[in-house]
Amino acid sequence: MARNPATIRYNRRMAAIMAVYIAGIMLASLVIDRAAPLGPITIGLTLLPGLAIVAAIGAIGRFLTELADEYLRMLEVRKVIIATGVTLAITSVWGLLELYSASLPRLPVFYVFPIWCGGLFVGQIVNRFWLGDDDDVGGCA
Amino acid sequence: MNNRLKVLRAERDWSQQDLADRLGVSRQSVNAIEKGRYDPSLPLAFTIADVFGLPIEAIFLRDGDSE
Repeated sequence: MARNPATIRYNRRMAAIMAVYIAGIMLASLVIDRAAPLGPITIGLTLLPGLAIVAAIGAIGRFLTELADEYLRMLEVRKVIIATGVTLAITSVWGLLELYSASLPRLPVFYVFPIWCGGLFVGQIVNRFWLGDDDDVGGCA
Repeated sequence: MNNRLKVLRAERDWSQQDLADRLGVSRQSVNAIEKGRYDPSLPLAFTIADVFGLPIEAIFLRDGDSE
């Protein structure tokens, strides 16, 4: 499948952002003593992958605005909407279970973005199999 | 919304990719419009009309109207 220029740019940006994110996580895991009190080193090292996540969200938004083809843009927006719905559903239901069950493991807020990315994949499946798109643009997720 | 895109394209012996190139959109867009899965925006509908040299109402039909 021929990729459109917006998808190519998005993939390049996301690859660079993910490299920074993975490097940041590895560095933070190696250097930060989780038992130590919160300090400037902990905050600084945590901000690096944190800002990479912010950049990833920005890259997705930029991809949606750069995608000139209105039909492909609609497919991508639908994926984002489905991902948001999946994330809200999982975190809200889990949150209620946490509220009324002390034995349930707590879901760290860190997992909200990975769940949302998983939701993008669900959106891609919906586009492809349920709503009849047979040739996804292959953008986010 | 129904449309006569496939018929008009066949009359001109254009592939979906040919039409997509003329419209400046993806082949997937042409496919989705032809199959009635996606209704184009008004600007794209005008571009389609320009490419075929026909008025919009000669290409796009209300639901229930026959081709």
